[in-house]
Amino acid sequence: MSTTQLARGTSPGAGVRTAVGRFLPVVLTALVILGSWQLVVTVFDVPSFIVPAPTGISSAFRAEFGTIMSASVVTVQEVLLGLVLGAVAGVAVALALSRFPGVSGPVLTAAVVINCAPIVALAPIFNNWFGVTNLMSKAGVAAVMVFFPVLVNTTRGLLQVSSLHLEIMQSLAAQPRQVALMLRLPNALPYLFNALKLGSTLAVIGVIVTEYFGGPSNALGVYIAYQAALPRFEFAWAGIAVASALGLLLFGVTSLLERLLMPWHESLHDSDS
Amino acid sequence: MSEAAIISVRGVTKQFTGGNRTVTALEDIDLSIRRGEFVSLLGPSGCGKSTLLRILADLTEPTDGTVSLNGKTPGAARTDRDYGMVFQQAGLFEWRTVQRNVELPLQVAGVDKQTRRAKAHEMLDLVRLSDFARHFPWQLSGGMQQRVAIARALSADPEILFMDEPLGALDEMNRERLQGELLRIWSDTRTTVVFVTHSISEAVFLSSRIVVMSARPGRIAASIDVDLPYPRTAATRTTDAFFAKVTEVRTVLHGVPAEQAAR
Repeated sequence: MSTTQLARGTSPGAGVRTAVGRFLPVVLTALVILGSWQLVVTVFDVPSFIVPAPTGISSAFRAEFGTIMSASVVTVQEVLLGLVLGAVAGVAVALALSRFPGVSGPVLTAAVVINCAPIVALAPIFNNWFGVTNLMSKAGVAAVMVFFPVLVNTTRGLLQVSSLHLEIMQSLAAQPRQVALMLRLPNALPYLFNALKLGSTLAVIGVIVTEYFGGPSNALGVYIAYQAALPRFEFAWAGIAVASALGLLLFGVTSLLERLLMPWHESLHDSDS
Repeated sequence: MSEAAIISVRGVTKQFTGGNRTVTALEDIDLSIRRGEFVSLLGPSGCGKSTLLRILADLTEPTDGTVSLNGKTPGAARTDRDYGMVFQQAGLFEWRTVQRNVELPLQVAGVDKQTRRAKAHEMLDLVRLSDFARHFPWQLSGGMQQRVAIARALSADPEILFMDEPLGALDEMNRERLQGELLRIWSDTRTTVVFVTHSISEAVFLSSRIVVMSARPGRIAASIDVDLPYPRTAATRTTDAFFAKVTEVRTVLHGVPAEQAAR
């Protein structure tokens, strides 16, 4: 046995240490920001319509916890629906495009150009199409926002296959269907997940902004806009905080899925060994 | 073992045309390789040795001439999976474990899962990597990855093994160790090997015959039998017979012996 050629291993202790090493600075930074925020608001007596203090926001959150949570449930449904619709459509079109590499170039360029447009501006249009209280009017905007990055990235992943891998499949006399399933699809997965991570935050933005233009009375965006109009700014900020947490959570779940589905992906490993 | 040629090349010429310039990579190549031989194609860069191998493997087509593998055209031999191929880079699929990388040719050929698994185990035994079956390629060193690539190329029991500078990307020590491994695998499997290299000592150590090629245009300059007895070991590299053979090959390759060239 070639004991001199040791495989690169990882000790469990190192994993814990790097996790602490990675998250501790983040937590500290957050605490410093919140502390300074609180200090500035208190010392300079900043009125709440400009910026409320973190403690004010936190007590508003606790006071209306039930309302905010039930509003979040509706919003989460819209976000997930939009994310899934956009991702499925994006992957489907990417698969179709990858079969015609000649067409994919111009189509991708068009997709990139369209993606530069503020898609969220479509919010009032979608509210008209589907009706303000229909979940689809929010999910639709999110889906369009998710669709383009997923389409562009997945198509790239399907087409940017290493020429060596292609040659290996050729030497094995693989059918085009086998090349697609065994080579192109797995090759595109990291590209797809990059798009999904981006898309998960975009979907939250799309849904919240569309809800600002009206929606089911118990949705997070509607809640934020309503509280800001009352004006009860602490409560609006509490809603904003929850919306941010939502985007973060969704990003985290997507990253976790990525790790679970792609244990091989090198960029996920700590390359300090 | 039959003495009949398993590979035969007749009058093969390969020209590349770019714009209005035509480059002749190979000119009028004749070559016969018998079953069970270990033949190295040796020559400087640009002599067309890799191109010749790619023609044999049906990865590119000759401009002129005929090739026969196992009595078939290279295309038919490829679809019948008569050969396995190892490239300079291992080219493992990074999303597959070592085991599933070795299974790839069998999976493409539609072999059922159980047979595939058993065969992959056998092949990993052969390259002595059974303990790493569940590892992913990124967890292996370059030398180990190349051994997986060899196991993959052999998993469908091909009669011919094509190797395109397979050890070129490795450091000297790994390289020599893998040369030894390769000879052992060759003697275990009795596969016919066609091996492309630009290293004289590598060619002498491994081959039963060396086909020396010259560049611009690529031609066969000589075919040299290497009559050093197998099994060859690290000790073989220090024998006078080994040095004499290296000198002989070098003389053919450069036209002058090394001592004179150094002066």
